[in-house]
Parts: sequence; structure tokens; C-alpha cells
Amino acid sequence: MTSLYPGFRYDADKEAISEARAKALESLLIEKGVITGKTVDQVLSYFDTEMGPFNGAKLVARAWVDPEFKKLLLEDCNAACEMLDLPNGMSGAEGEHMRIVENTADVHNVVVCTLCSCYPWPTLGLPPYWFKDPTFRARVVREPRVVLGEFGVQLSDSVNIRIWDSSAQIRWWVLPMRPEGTESLSEEELAKLLTPEAMMGVALVKAKSE
Amino acid sequence: MFTRFEHFAATSMMGSSEEAPPREDGHLRFDRDWEKLVFGVAIALSKEGHFEWDEFRQALMHNIKSWESSHELDDTSWDYYQCWMDALEQAVVRAGILEAGEIESCLRRHLDCKGEITRNESPFVSITGNVQPSTA
Repeated sequence: MTSLYPGFRYDADKEAISEARAKALESLLIEKGVITGKTVDQVLSYFDTEMGPFNGAKLVARAWVDPEFKKLLLEDCNAACEMLDLPNGMSGAEGEHMRIVENTADVHNVVVCTLCSCYPWPTLGLPPYWFKDPTFRARVVREPRVVLGEFGVQLSDSVNIRIWDSSAQIRWWVLPMRPEGTESLSEEELAKLLTPEAMMGVALVKAKSE
Repeated sequence: MFTRFEHFAATSMMGSSEEAPPREDGHLRFDRDWEKLVFGVAIALSKEGHFEWDEFRQALMHNIKSWESSHELDDTSWDYYQCWMDALEQAVVRAGILEAGEIESCLRRHLDCKGEITRNESPFVSITGNVQPSTA
């Protein structure tokens, strides 16, 4: 695998060696004062706490419990972001010009990007693999009901499906329907039910997070 | 409002499906502790200016391409973070932060003090000039 250790037989205990390589590297760098364990922890905690669908989930959960906030979120997504205590970067590069569309009993929204793969990272975290797949993008426009079915979303024929094409100008995302049986849940508990897929319109929110 | 280096580093890799790290539910996906460690170390080093992020990315892409050219596409031994760790070692050596030899001897020390490995029934690894047979 690597030319640095020509003497090693990699298949013998690859996992143990990988782990030792990573630790050896880290301990040398710390020993020599190149980096500190704290620096690495800070980097990793950014990904644990800020780079994920946390912000989108917070916004949706608030909208579910607060009709006034929901109105604002639908009208001016960026203004709604400013009302919640969201971390730096929400209105930065990839979060600019976000718009959210609401799923109802009659309308189901799905977001795609048929040209590139514009994705509202600050709210939804890192884009899933399928979002960049050209086949997905082409098919969801042509046969949305079939594609949604493949994602496990069965919609009755009376539900209208709207496809929103994200671009560098407007990055769309979806306000999913609040599932039944969640009346007693707190805003924090509701936020935990949300997934990036639900906020892209290719999944429904389930009452219990699985 | 500024963009965090961490954000820049991660988003710069999302352009191609080959280069982008594994992810799940909007989060980075780490299957093993050491993956998370080498991910964090690479970003921390570049954040502190020890090498350009783009240099690291080039090394990573080079490793991925060379793996792909020598394996079938559906080869199950594909391991994104092995390519990442190779790129990290290469970047660290190229930037003159560490020497290849000192990484190897430190690795040897780490492997030597791993009792559970040396108790394996078969020799787990042979290091040039220092073959370690099972002692169990």
C-alpha cells in the first residue's frame, strides 16, 4: 500500500497496523510540538457539532412548534436563520439565498440540482452520494413517483409532486410534514427526527428516530 | 462572517465522488477510530500552515487513482482512508515535518508494545531485519 514501509506484509494484520500508523504519526507530531492533541480535537469537534444537518433540523423543529416562525422561515429563510442562535457560516458561501418549501397533505416537494450539485450545506450538512448522481437527477425529474418509491416514499396519486431545481442563485430545501404522534415531543426531540433526506424531500419524517 | 478552514477543507473535496470522504446522514462517516484521527491530523496540520491543503488533496487523488488503476472497480478491499493515511504520510515527509525513517521507527515502537498483536498465533508482520515470531 505504501512505499514507506516496504518490509511490511500488509495483509497480515492490516487493521492493527493502520491503527498503529495513525497513532505513531499523531504521537510524533505531538512529541515534536508540531501540533497539539487539542488542535486535532478542535478540528474534529467542528465536524461533530457544526458540519451536519443540525441547523436545518433546528429550523424545522422550531417551525413545527411556532407558526409565526414557520411563516418567517417560508418567507425569508435567511432572516429566520438569524433569529436562531446558529453558528458562524450559516449565511456564508454555501448558505446564501436559501429558500424553503413546505410539504403538505397535498403537495410533496423534492429538491434536485440538474446542472451541478448546489446544496445548502450549512443547513443540511454534507451532501449524500446520490445527490450528485446524474442518473438520480435526470430520473427524479422524469419519473419522480418511481424514484421516490425507490427511496421508500409512497405517495398517494392525489399528492402533487413538485421538483425544485437548485442553483447557485437559490438553494432550495424542504420543510417536511410533522409526523403524527409527536405532539408531546419537545423542540429538541423533534429536531432529532430530521434527516438530510427528509429535508431534500426524498424521505418522510418518522415519529421515532431509528 | 468568515469561513472556517475546516469548512473550506471539507467542501473543497466534494467536487468529485472519488475524492470526497465517505458520509452518512449529512455527517462524515468514520468506521474506525484511526480514520477520524488521520482526518483530523491532516486538516489540523494544513490549518496551522504546515502544508497547503491543495497539496494534500493532490496526493490523495494521486493515491486513489493509482489504486484504481491497479484494482477492479468492484474490489472490496477499497479503503478510502488508507489512501488518506498514505497521502498524509507523504505530505508530512514532503513538507519536511518528519522523516520517513522516524515515522517507521515510531510505528515499530507502537507495534512492539501492542501485546495483543504479538500474541497472535502467526507472525503478524515482518519488519526488515526484525521478524517477530509468535511468542504465545
